[in-house]
Amino acid sequence: MEQASEPERGVSRRGFLATSAAAAALAAGTAGAPSPAAAATAGPARAGASVVRVTLRVNGRERTLSLDPRVTLLDALRERLDLTGTKKGCDRGQCGACTVHVEGRRVLSCLTLAAGLDGKAVTTVEGLARGDELHPVQRAFLECDGLQCGFCTPGQIMSAVALIREGHAGSEEEIREFMSGNICRCGAYPGIVAAVKAAGERG
Amino acid sequence: MTRTSLGAPLDRVDGRAKVTGAARYAADNNPAGLAHGYFVLSTIAKGTIRSIDAARASAAPGVLAVYSHANPLRLLPPRSYIAQFIGEPQRAMQDAVVRHYGQIVAMVVAETFEQARDAAALVTVEYDAQPPAADFLAGVPGARDPQTPFGHPVTILADGVPDIDAALAASEVTHTAVYTQPPEHHNPMEPHSAVAMWDGGKLTIHSGSQGPALHALDLAEGLGVPQEDVHVIGPYVGGGFGGKATSWSPTLLAAAAARALRRPVKVVTTREQLFTVTGHRTASHLTVTLGARRDGTLTAVKNLAVTTFEIENPASPPTAAYKCPNLDLRLKVVDLDIPRRTIMRAPGYAAGTFGLECAMDELAHELGLDPIELRMRNYATASPDKGLPYASKHLDECYRVGAERFGWSRRKAEPRSVTDGQWLVGMGMATCVLPSSQHAGAARVRFRANGTVEVACNTADLGTGAMTVLAMAGADRLGLPVGRIRPALGDSTLPVAAEGDSFMGAVGSAATSTILSAVHDAAGEAITALIAHAVSDARSPFHGMDAQDVRYSSGVLEGGGRRAGFGELLTTTGTPGVEAVTTATLGEDTERYAFITSGAHFCEVRVHRLTGEARLSRVTCVVDAGTIVNGKTARGQIAGGVVMSAGQALLEGAYVEPATGRIANANFADYLVPVNADIPAVDVHFLDHPDTRYNPQGARGLGELTGTGVAAAIANAIYNATGTRVRDLPITPDKLLS
Repeated sequence: MEQASEPERGVSRRGFLATSAAAAALAAGTAGAPSPAAAATAGPARAGASVVRVTLRVNGRERTLSLDPRVTLLDALRERLDLTGTKKGCDRGQCGACTVHVEGRRVLSCLTLAAGLDGKAVTTVEGLARGDELHPVQRAFLECDGLQCGFCTPGQIMSAVALIREGHAGSEEEIREFMSGNICRCGAYPGIVAAVKAAGERG
Repeated sequence: MTRTSLGAPLDRVDGRAKVTGAARYAADNNPAGLAHGYFVLSTIAKGTIRSIDAARASAAPGVLAVYSHANPLRLLPPRSYIAQFIGEPQRAMQDAVVRHYGQIVAMVVAETFEQARDAAALVTVEYDAQPPAADFLAGVPGARDPQTPFGHPVTILADGVPDIDAALAASEVTHTAVYTQPPEHHNPMEPHSAVAMWDGGKLTIHSGSQGPALHALDLAEGLGVPQEDVHVIGPYVGGGFGGKATSWSPTLLAAAAARALRRPVKVVTTREQLFTVTGHRTASHLTVTLGARRDGTLTAVKNLAVTTFEIENPASPPTAAYKCPNLDLRLKVVDLDIPRRTIMRAPGYAAGTFGLECAMDELAHELGLDPIELRMRNYATASPDKGLPYASKHLDECYRVGAERFGWSRRKAEPRSVTDGQWLVGMGMATCVLPSSQHAGAARVRFRANGTVEVACNTADLGTGAMTVLAMAGADRLGLPVGRIRPALGDSTLPVAAEGDSFMGAVGSAATSTILSAVHDAAGEAITALIAHAVSDARSPFHGMDAQDVRYSSGVLEGGGRRAGFGELLTTTGTPGVEAVTTATLGEDTERYAFITSGAHFCEVRVHRLTGEARLSRVTCVVDAGTIVNGKTARGQIAGGVVMSAGQALLEGAYVEPATGRIANANFADYLVPVNADIPAVDVHFLDHPDTRYNPQGARGLGELTGTGVAAAIANAIYNATGTRVRDLPITPDKLLS
């Protein structure tokens, strides 16, 4: 473990640790706390510095980032990796627009600190299609018009892919229930249900 | 892709970009050197800022600047009346006055979002606070008359009737009741966002807007630069519903900060901030008094509406709904120390049809008439206010077809007659109406040497399907497959009519009709230009021919035994493209006819006997909107309006604390909007009666139509289920248990 260097602008290492602890507390229950290894790289104790080194496997590709420990997975994707398909609709886990898969499970990336995901596999909406060939769920959303403005659509699709895989697309009622973490203000719900149903039936 | 004429259900042309995440919305742009802005909001509703201590924030890591009225980003007030009335007359951070809770009082700009957000928490603001006027209902008795060009009273009296009260006194039956709803927030999934960058004196800004041209004008006025120096880019807009019709301070401040710092600045309003730094739909208090004969014939309607906004007039729907010889429709306004109100989907008509259509249901019950029968006895074939006949109105068919599809004949007129276990089951219906509007818009149509045609219009696609309609309009007029059309919108540099309301872009359900006319005319001129090029260019096979002898059909020129596709022609002549830009000439005969979009809603609602929970279980909407240009996206608009209106009926409302002016539920966990499980299958059926007196394609707008009537149909179904009449939205369980 490196020694803390002198804070540049009056923020002590103690302050940094408090920030880190708060961040860890936030992440608990969603994606786990930052790993000790990640915290150990936090040498220069300066709030806002890129002090946590994290390697993510994003859509099958290894991406190593030096991050401010406060950075959420959502902002890491959008602001650091330019994967802007994942959307910020509320930044507090209430709308589902930021839904991605971590190790195959859907998570709200706005409530997940990137620092806690070292070594983890992340799949975003950009990782679904195979070249020009759309994922069956993407195709179904397009054909069933399960979208309007499109802003919630990436999150809807990531949820749909997961719930079909989990076996929760058995009936329209079940689809409605399991898709209710993803708000669509345009009200494309009838089309979304039709799309999930169609994609589920296609297998 | 195959040839598609108007009317086919076509997949969205921008759908692929939206389902793959490739579509770039405003905040998805990350230019090099980007800095991030974050706002500090006031924690009082009225008063002045005594001091702002920005020292700790300024010293925080990564912070580039902290702006406030003490260190201002100077913005000029808007000049256009649209911005003044619908938007903000007072820009943020220009003085020390606090006008509402949650007003922007400081802006932190830092290297990263996290640094800006956390530094904003270090800004300390002290206020001299005064008690705000924030209680809408308390202000209703003292409401004032409107003072702007909007909200004029409408009084129509039959010969010999001195005033509306006399007409009501002479009526065999009267019904009077008060219908209220709280403020509503658009809550588009994409919060207002902007990425602004300057190149010398010129601004490029990524910002989602309903009207890119108006947005550029607002920005130019606010920033004090020529309009042509502002370039708004926003091909994808994550929902608008009226909330992105004008420009709000977050966007202007992003541009101003980028200018001051000489680097790009991104601002993404948080969901909580959105409730107070952009506009909302006013609360509404509507007193409806109906006078009628015992046979149900209306003799008088007196509406007194009170809102906080002149343009949102819930008194107005009787000017479009039913035949009635005496109308008196008035609006009064309450001034409050709360965030700005603005237009929201079907302004006036959303709250107004809730009151009117509930009142009609109540009158039907009192008279022992079927609600459809009461409406048919007052069926208007002419506009109640203008007296002009409707050019094409088939609402009667909507009632008939809807009743059949829905199974209305199974409804029991007596409330609380039908149960299913612990659930009380009821049916309700209502009329939806929306006066039609269209604008003389401009379009550019450009034949290109690569065999495609660019069709461009200065409007926006908020999710409405306008991009697809634009492509279809071009394909239809030019006889080409949609796949050869390159639609363009959402950019302030695209052609716009200098005069008239098309400048506002996608508002008033007018975009489809506006696009059709503009593209029709521009494509005609582009064909003329293409033929002129064909006969005048020395390298063209048609060179030297008389233009009248060359014909255009489905992308091919023919004449004198010669034949060439436009791509081939332009390639041969070495010309990248031939185009025409024109402003449409509208042909609707408003001197002789009135135009209206209407429909009938039918709802079944189940109310739990013990919990009071109301569940919407079935919906049928039959719509008369003339020609349906794209059955797929039109269906989405109609169903989407039903969803938003289900929120109005059962869930939505901002709770403004009377003592503080604070919105207590400014987030998605407390301000409830419908989720998937709240919405059943929605049966949407379109009649097919082209209104060719309106435009050659016969299409009227429909985007706001189901913003009207649905809440009443749900309330009426709840009455039928429970026997409880709730006139105060939203109809939450507590109101059904008391």
